[in-house]
Amino acid sequence: MSSYFGLKVGLELHFQLDTERKLFCNCLTTMKGKNPIKIVVRKLHPVQSELGEIDRAAQFEYLRNRTFYYEVFKNECCLVELDEEPPHEPNEEALKIALQIAKLFNCKIPDEIYVMRKIVIDGSNTSGFQRTMIVGFDGYFDFEGKKIPITQISLEEDSAAIDKEENGKVYYKLNRLGIPLVEIDTGILEGFMPKEIEEIAYQIFLLASSTRKIRKNIGAIRQDVNVSIEGGARVEIKGVQKLSLISKVIEKEIERQLLLIKEGKKVEKETRAAKEDGTSIYMRPLPGSERMYPETDIKPIKTEIYLKNLEIPEPLTKIIERYKKEYKLNDQLVKSLLKSKYFFLFDEIMKRFKIDGSVVANILSSVIKDLERKENIDFDLEEEKIFEFFKALEEQKIFKEAAYEILKEMYFNRNLTIDQIVEKLNLKPLSEGEILKIIEETKKEVKDSEKLYSIVLSKVRGRANIQEVIKILNSKNRQHEF
Amino acid sequence: MDAYEFLERKGIEIGDKIKIDSLTGILMPKSEFSEKDVIVIKLENGYNIGLKFNEKMNVELLKKKSTKIKNKLEKEIPDPNKPTVSILACGGTIASKVEYETGAVYPSFSPEEIIEAFPEIKEIANIRARKLFDLFSEDMQPEHWKIIAREVAKEIESGVDGVVLMHGTDTMHYTSAALSFMLQNLPVPVVLVGAQRSSDRPSSDNQINLVSAILFAAKGDVAEVVVCMHENLNDNYCSIHRGTKVRKMHTSRRDAFKSINISPLARVNYFEKSIEYLREDYIKRDKKRKLSLDLQIDPNVGIFYFHPGAKPEVLEEMSKYYDGLIIASTGLGHIAVNIKNDELGKSFLPVIEKIIKSGKPIVFASQTIFGRLNLNVYSTGRILEKVGVIGNGCDWTIETALVKLMFVLGHTKNLEEVKNMMLTNIANEISYSIEE
Repeated sequence: MSSYFGLKVGLELHFQLDTERKLFCNCLTTMKGKNPIKIVVRKLHPVQSELGEIDRAAQFEYLRNRTFYYEVFKNECCLVELDEEPPHEPNEEALKIALQIAKLFNCKIPDEIYVMRKIVIDGSNTSGFQRTMIVGFDGYFDFEGKKIPITQISLEEDSAAIDKEENGKVYYKLNRLGIPLVEIDTGILEGFMPKEIEEIAYQIFLLASSTRKIRKNIGAIRQDVNVSIEGGARVEIKGVQKLSLISKVIEKEIERQLLLIKEGKKVEKETRAAKEDGTSIYMRPLPGSERMYPETDIKPIKTEIYLKNLEIPEPLTKIIERYKKEYKLNDQLVKSLLKSKYFFLFDEIMKRFKIDGSVVANILSSVIKDLERKENIDFDLEEEKIFEFFKALEEQKIFKEAAYEILKEMYFNRNLTIDQIVEKLNLKPLSEGEILKIIEETKKEVKDSEKLYSIVLSKVRGRANIQEVIKILNSKNRQHEF
Repeated sequence: MDAYEFLERKGIEIGDKIKIDSLTGILMPKSEFSEKDVIVIKLENGYNIGLKFNEKMNVELLKKKSTKIKNKLEKEIPDPNKPTVSILACGGTIASKVEYETGAVYPSFSPEEIIEAFPEIKEIANIRARKLFDLFSEDMQPEHWKIIAREVAKEIESGVDGVVLMHGTDTMHYTSAALSFMLQNLPVPVVLVGAQRSSDRPSSDNQINLVSAILFAAKGDVAEVVVCMHENLNDNYCSIHRGTKVRKMHTSRRDAFKSINISPLARVNYFEKSIEYLREDYIKRDKKRKLSLDLQIDPNVGIFYFHPGAKPEVLEEMSKYYDGLIIASTGLGHIAVNIKNDELGKSFLPVIEKIIKSGKPIVFASQTIFGRLNLNVYSTGRILEKVGVIGNGCDWTIETALVKLMFVLGHTKNLEEVKNMMLTNIANEISYSIEE
């Protein structure tokens, strides 16, 4: 076998766009609502089509026993989400971002975009369909010298999130419904290892992130992974919540299919739901082609006007080159900085403060990564707080050696100022006199001059500029010698 | 040249599967808002996209469109133990089929199709169904009301237990008022029903409204013309509104129809398939009662909507086109008469007097929608009452007043008789007490 079990993978990545308003109405995308202001009870019923009778009967049976309860939240839901008012004109900001993404992936752009209704009867859309539109097709991007095909990019409304289900009563939160969502579909990826596919997904995320308008909070990114191996069948695994789970999901699916093949069983084409540990559970047979028809309430969108003034953001590949050149970051540091959610902030920090690029990059990547791993947190400190941190660093109110402790404190105690944190952690900068005092005291205990350096440095760690302390030590030594 | 014409010359028509450069899909009709040189392709995954077409593009016909053979539906055999309901379609699509391959939406009208769409109907009643016409409700004319009334009468005379009228919602309350006057002495319910959300969507209110309407037509105890629509935003209850007291009060909500100045007559519990009565002052079902059909109406009635800045000359000009006028008045029944002789003021009084003197009635109905007219409270009202405007003490909606005046003028042009008839309740259009 030339490739890994004949593995073929297709990715469908969904990213929420960070717009202020929803895609088809003026509601806020904040999703802050805790207690619903009302609950609306609804039934859905199958719409007649050219579907066979059996399918229709199945739909009927499915829906007969289900009643949907929609939780309405203040400022985040209106009559549009309740399917009580036709959709408004599509959100221009969302359209622009989606078109930027399509351009970043070298897609062809339709001259007219048509909004479609995709039938979805699980209740996650009050209307019984999801509004979706193709904004780009036939694209690609470069991944380690290979062209990765992007078959299609669509802009759609996010569905309502399920809250709970009890005895056929399904509760949905309506505030997520209508948030703009971009779906990026790859062509079939062949000849890659699962880890590489995860890296491809990550690169797609990064390239889309060039727009700086991709939401990164939990639940804002979801992907569906289509997996097949030689002798197996195409299985769609839906709802993988983290990009970093993709390789695991693929590995587990390969294992599952291999086991079935070994036992002489047939691998069925099916849709499975991803679990948090990378395994999946059966959902339903693989659906046929989507049932779609035009959204007649929205006029076709002429893209020419949008494209004329569309600014294409600097793609990440270029940003990376620039970071390397302008700020003298080495390959490894850029690579690790790329994984940081504060990647774009790097530029801004460098412009605002006089600090060495590698120091900033190291803090934004390794230090924060360490912190997330050791403390088991999703480090999500606001941009303003990050700026505050680097300002203090520039002013030598704090020192890079204490970055971990200070950022940790800033994360857990968000109401504390840097000064208060420094006070609390006993990390006040040492005066030259204090440094000298420490040196003198240490000298009394340590005679070996090499040891002296390391002990002094560990004593002043995080409270002084190391270079300056070394300078003082050097001069002290010299004094001593004379 | 138009892109579609060009393709047609190459033997490619809408519905054909084509390859255009790298794309494969079905050629679709374009939207009315599309640019001239744009063609619409339905891709294999169901999405439509619009592409600017030029003659240099490489187009290839892959497959001619297939003509679908409609699967024949079995004829329903009536169950003698169940009531029979006639469904007459006047427009608005309360049931439809979607052909996802092309995105086309087809309305369904035959009883078999309606039962296929909503199988639960079979458990309620035997269904007869036919299409009268297929009109947007804004295109409905008073002449259409006559056709509907005549056809409803035919159904009732054939012995059905109730009639359901599928109707577009925008003017449904005009039709319901008109039928209330034309179909007197009803033995069984006549139920108008519509849908606010299109019938092609799984969330449409069509199913609950239609099933509730059929249930009420089959089993409801109210032998009047009524409107059956969603009671609130939930898919659980439908309200049964009196035909002369109902009004569309929202552009899009499924509970757009509200009874004005009275409560609904009843409500249908969709889940339980049961009826709860909310009033006692309705005409009870009695199949032995003999229907009287009265189709005399004069459609030459207009509505003048008074507002600050309105011109008396316009009212005068309007009166030339109509045999009678409704004035949508302010508050308790007022229109500018400039009692205080303000220098900026205008008075409609001379024109109103002139119109009435010429033998044409002027009927008031209030813009406030809710509440009763009372011309006794302010001097403006008293002056207007004195010159002979009609409506003091009435609580009709503007729309019901319009339809009633058409009906009355169909019977007499004598001003005194018109006034008497207008002030006499014909179909409970005037309520004697407003409870809320």
